Amino acid sequence: MVTAALNALGRPFAGIAPERRKFITLVLLTVVMLAFPIVHDNDGDIDSMANAMSYATLALGLNIVVGFAGLLDLGYAAFFAIGAYYYGILTSFQVMPEWSSFWQPFAALGLVEKMNQGGPDLVHFTLSFWLALPTAALVAAFFGVLFGAPTLRLRGDYLAIVTLGFGEIVPIVARNKSDWTNGAAGLNGVQAPRLFGWSFGVDATPYYYVGFAMVVLLIFISIRLRDSRIGRAWMAIREDETAAAAMGVNLVRFKLLAFAIGAAFAGMTGVFFVAKLQTATPEMFGFPVSTMILVMVVFGGMGSVWGVVLGAAVLQLLQSWFLKDLTQWINAFGDLVGSAWLRQVDLVQSIELIFGIILVVMMLFRREGLIPAMAKAPPLNMAAQTANVQRGGFTGLERIGRWQPAGGNALEVKGVTVKFGGLVALNAVDLVVPDGGVVAVIGPNGSGKSTLFNVITGLVHSDGGSIRFHGAELLGLAPHEILEAGVARTFQNIRLFPNLTVLQNVMIGEHARLHAGPVASVLRLPGTRREEAGARAWALDIIGLFGNRLTPRIDQIVSGLSYANRRRVEIARAIATRPKILLLDEPTAGMNPAETLELAEQIKSLHELGLTILLIEHKLDVVTRLAQNVIVLDHGEKIAEGLPDDVRRDEAVLTAYLGRTAQAAHAGVANG
Amino acid sequence: MTTADLILQQLINGVSLGAMYALLALGFTLVYGILELINFSHFNIFMVGSFVALMTLDAFGLKGQTVVLTGLPLAGVLLVAFLVTMVATGVLGVGIERFLLRRVRHVKGPAAMITTIGVSYILLNVVLLTTGADAKNFPNPLPAVHYDIGGAVLRLREILIWIIAFVLMGGLSYFVNRTRLGKAMRATAQDPDAARMMGIEVDRVIMTAFFVGSALAGAGGLIFGLYYNFTSASVGFVAGLRAFTAAVLGGIGNVPGAMVGGLIIGLIEASGGQLIATAWTDVVIFSILVLVLVFRPSGLFGRMAPNKS
Amino acid sequence: MTVKLTRRSALMATAATAAAATLGVSGAEAADKVVKIALEMSFTGADATSALRAAQGAMMAIDEANESKAVKGVKFEYVKFDDGTATAGQYDPVQGATNARKMVSDRDIVASVGPQMSGVGKAMAPILSQGNLATITPASTNPDITDPKFAAQYRPAGKAIYFRTVATDAFQGPNMANFMADKLKVKSIFVLDDSGAYGVGLADAFQAQAEKKGIKILGRDRLDPKAADYSAILTKIKSLGADAMYYGGVGQAGVKLAKQSYEIIPNVIKAGGDGMFGSDLLTGVGFPAVEGWYATQASPHVVDDPKLGNWTKKYTEKYKMGPDDYTVTSYDAALIIIDAVKRLVAAGKPVTRDNVRDNIQSSKVSTLQGEVEFDEHGDLKNKVISVFQIKQDKTKPLDDPSSQYKYVGVAPTV
Repeated sequence: MVTAALNALGRPFAGIAPERRKFITLVLLTVVMLAFPIVHDNDGDIDSMANAMSYATLALGLNIVVGFAGLLDLGYAAFFAIGAYYYGILTSFQVMPEWSSFWQPFAALGLVEKMNQGGPDLVHFTLSFWLALPTAALVAAFFGVLFGAPTLRLRGDYLAIVTLGFGEIVPIVARNKSDWTNGAAGLNGVQAPRLFGWSFGVDATPYYYVGFAMVVLLIFISIRLRDSRIGRAWMAIREDETAAAAMGVNLVRFKLLAFAIGAAFAGMTGVFFVAKLQTATPEMFGFPVSTMILVMVVFGGMGSVWGVVLGAAVLQLLQSWFLKDLTQWINAFGDLVGSAWLRQVDLVQSIELIFGIILVVMMLFRREGLIPAMAKAPPLNMAAQTANVQRGGFTGLERIGRWQPAGGNALEVKGVTVKFGGLVALNAVDLVVPDGGVVAVIGPNGSGKSTLFNVITGLVHSDGGSIRFHGAELLGLAPHEILEAGVARTFQNIRLFPNLTVLQNVMIGEHARLHAGPVASVLRLPGTRREEAGARAWALDIIGLFGNRLTPRIDQIVSGLSYANRRRVEIARAIATRPKILLLDEPTAGMNPAETLELAEQIKSLHELGLTILLIEHKLDVVTRLAQNVIVLDHGEKIAEGLPDDVRRDEAVLTAYLGRTAQAAHAGVANG
Repeated sequence: MTTADLILQQLINGVSLGAMYALLALGFTLVYGILELINFSHFNIFMVGSFVALMTLDAFGLKGQTVVLTGLPLAGVLLVAFLVTMVATGVLGVGIERFLLRRVRHVKGPAAMITTIGVSYILLNVVLLTTGADAKNFPNPLPAVHYDIGGAVLRLREILIWIIAFVLMGGLSYFVNRTRLGKAMRATAQDPDAARMMGIEVDRVIMTAFFVGSALAGAGGLIFGLYYNFTSASVGFVAGLRAFTAAVLGGIGNVPGAMVGGLIIGLIEASGGQLIATAWTDVVIFSILVLVLVFRPSGLFGRMAPNKS
Repeated sequence: MTVKLTRRSALMATAATAAAATLGVSGAEAADKVVKIALEMSFTGADATSALRAAQGAMMAIDEANESKAVKGVKFEYVKFDDGTATAGQYDPVQGATNARKMVSDRDIVASVGPQMSGVGKAMAPILSQGNLATITPASTNPDITDPKFAAQYRPAGKAIYFRTVATDAFQGPNMANFMADKLKVKSIFVLDDSGAYGVGLADAFQAQAEKKGIKILGRDRLDPKAADYSAILTKIKSLGADAMYYGGVGQAGVKLAKQSYEIIPNVIKAGGDGMFGSDLLTGVGFPAVEGWYATQASPHVVDDPKLGNWTKKYTEKYKMGPDDYTVTSYDAALIIIDAVKRLVAAGKPVTRDNVRDNIQSSKVSTLQGEVEFDEHGDLKNKVISVFQIKQDKTKPLDDPSSQYKYVGVAPTV
């Protein structure tokens, strides 16, 4: 419905290019926001807007944690409280240690001043608001890491409850440590911000502009992060943690980074909030606040930067402004028509009820929020859909360069054992993949093939043995370190990042080969810009290998692709990591014979380019076509090894695959 | 009071509290085990239960602490009150599932959880706007019988709360482990798709889980009222939160784990109040929770349901 | 649209102010001038019911003034402002600050009754001071706001704008400590609060004076008002063998505390402040559990004054619920504002915020709690603390505080 209305509104402007339209909208919006306090002289409404801006910045911060990185945080208000009390305590008369020479340098910097209220000289903290904003961000980020660290191993529900716990603990500490915070009575004497000697005082307008600047800044940071290596890594974690790790994302670092940046936003907002209010009580930071911010994020659209800002604004203004006006209008209308009931209706009192209803209705009918994070890509036209199918390997291989096999062995697996409880999934398996070679692993279901891949890529721990890759030990390394070493893989049951586009999926593959950190991503200096452009070009080159299969679909969400195309995206993602060895887990599973043939040719062309490949495959014709050496696993043990044709005749192999009784019957078929 | 008396008394306090948390925790665990859903509406289903119980007892002419019943009348009134309350909250839970949650069940992400937050707001405010925020005097028809054990006092209501909680939990264990529907429930918790293929009506199983969990919350609400002789619109949050913590502590999805978790939280609360200060109770509870989860990420007794995500 | 509308209301406000000036000079027989009184309370969330009771107190006074035409040519109207938000789930200082700004922006509002909570008061006071808009709080008792030490923050414009029809914690607690030491001969005590600004402040002040009077403080703890079970702490009090327990706080935790302490420590002397005085306690706890509790009122007790009894009856009939302590103080607050306007009109002065504030400052009004005067900071001049004890009177309604709380005497001042 909303979309339809927006479309209707947008129709007259259809002639303007989308980019330009977006720019014009932004300019108009900025002008309206800047002009608001001038044309609207109600200080209360301006204050409501300033509060809405605080909630917008909080929602932007939580959006990074929940919307981007998918870490469900139910105690986000804790960081808000930390920022608030940081500024509150360091500008008020609450904590006043005795003066000593230790404080002299701080006084010189203007951070403290000497005070005497009778008795010994005391220290009065006088932290400037403008200095407090960035430092509170740092302090809150520190706590973000501190609270985030114990939750790293936890997922979903447990993460939620632990964050909820921290969210409860912080206000309780604020209430009980009353010598620092003045407890429930609230801080006294918090300083208003000053700018060139002029104090903001209690007039709402200057706060409005500071709030607006903060929203603009944090929207900018959010968008820059979202469209960068950092944002892609977060979204990869959100979509599939295991696949993200296997694609080179350092889970620990990027989860903590999300917690830290999310907390930093909240810390800054806390400073702003308390400076405006000039007091703080523990009740301002309880569980309902955390829930409300989460609701704003969900209502606006998880992961959608503009959406969460709109969500926060709507929900905050609804309760502090619109409902009251609406109530007055209804009451006045009741006066007019003489309805006693209408005259008395009080919507403000029912605000929580209204919230509940909004939440439920939104969840049932518009889950993606007011402004969805992922715009729907336009459907393909007929020509793109029926593009002719390629034969005979990859096209445009020359663009991605060549691998130069150094000779010797790329991968050496020696005596690797993996146990799950009592079950031995792999028992002292040996395996060698020569550099530039193609080795296939076959075996019946449950024989340990995928476990072998998992242990090589660090997803499961081994109970002994060694895995050397170009001479370096892989065992004990984290998945992302193994990828960095040059080992890339696909998964048997396709683990793409389902709600991201084809291009995003492939670019996440490049994660480990790119270097932009959070600061570089936000500033987007020429170096970062070049890196990003290069990454995009490389991803397009690799997508282009599949000809017209993927190229027209780069902006489509992968969960909507056909099975075969999803397989192709996964292989493209693995190649994008610039691997030295490619581990393909049943790449042709679920493909029809024509598609299988096509993919086999393409893999072969990769091999011809010099890429080392380790392959799990059931289709023996594919194995025969590609592999120079075949390893057969059964019940976690290597039962045969050799040339494809030899292995096909091996008795042990036939027994493993078909059971003894069927062996004779099948022998003829296998030979024929 | 000697130290031994004191310990005994706080044990009695803690076990009674724990029994109540356990009843509530079971509802969380049942729903979570099957749907992987943190059901925030459970908090206020419990609260609504206590109000239904209040009205039921009121209908029997029980007001305040003035009427005391014994023998058969007492048993009869309690039985009716439990039935009415449990059916009412059970139906409420099923309604929430059937008309709201079912439509968002298959959506990945927190949509279902947010829906339950919305439902929770609605339940709370409907009660708040109709009855006000004041604490209500809850009838207490139990005779004031108590036993002195040294310096410690064991009251009839404590004995009663233990027996009822024990019976309900025993019934639940029997239901989950021995009945057809219970087995279907466990199967669904393990793998809903496989369960469906085996001919289990997953929708019915989920509705049953909501009914049973909500009915237990309703029973918890009645017990709460009998034990504390008051109720108010705001009782759901703290009790619910601690019960949920108990469920996670014991290993979510794990029925005996929820019971033990409830007892542990109850005992922590009692001993925390004695040894440290009630002001810090929540900090103690959550610190223990964080420690347990850091060292045993699947709770003390392990989770029964596999992590489906 | 909003902008337009506000523009128009601003115009109307200007017109009204002009009319007021005319009215002041000529006393013309024009249509009644509308004077708005803001009611700033926490109508949403945990404190909704007590907010409603308090607001109705003020509304009743305003209605009565209009009916009896107490001020010639003036029609009083009230405007409700809600500082409870769904975001906080209860009172929210942030919204309080917004409301204060809205009140200041509405030129028709000449004074306000509220807020209930000191946390909100701290956020509102500086804004009201800049806008020169006086408020009379019926319930917030934290001394900081009227403390001259913090004058620079809470009344930057200079004059007192934050008046109270309740005594601050600085008197109620200490005087009760004196009473318990001198009259009740308490030797050892355990002190509790309910985590709220009022409760913590009251208990702190009580504890400090109790220590001075030589009462042994066996311990101090804090109740979570949302929790249900206080048996752990009560068992601890029992094991310590305390003579008495003092509770600083309001009914939310008070009801549960009274019920459970009756079971666990029936023989310990139990006392609280004015937060433990009210019909919500009588109905919520019920007899016999509530029997014997001491509570204080920050006003002199007028013996056998039928005024309060009649008033209670009238209130109960009008709103179908019993009044509580803050209904009374809120009613009184509205009376004082009405009186201030009345004196302005009588003196032929314009009804401006400034003048209303000055008249409130110089009030000498007979209210339900006796004659009220303010000191230069906005606090009650009268600092008499009356002590009551709950003793059941079966002949009277069991939820009527004026008949179930028995006057014991005046608590000795510090």
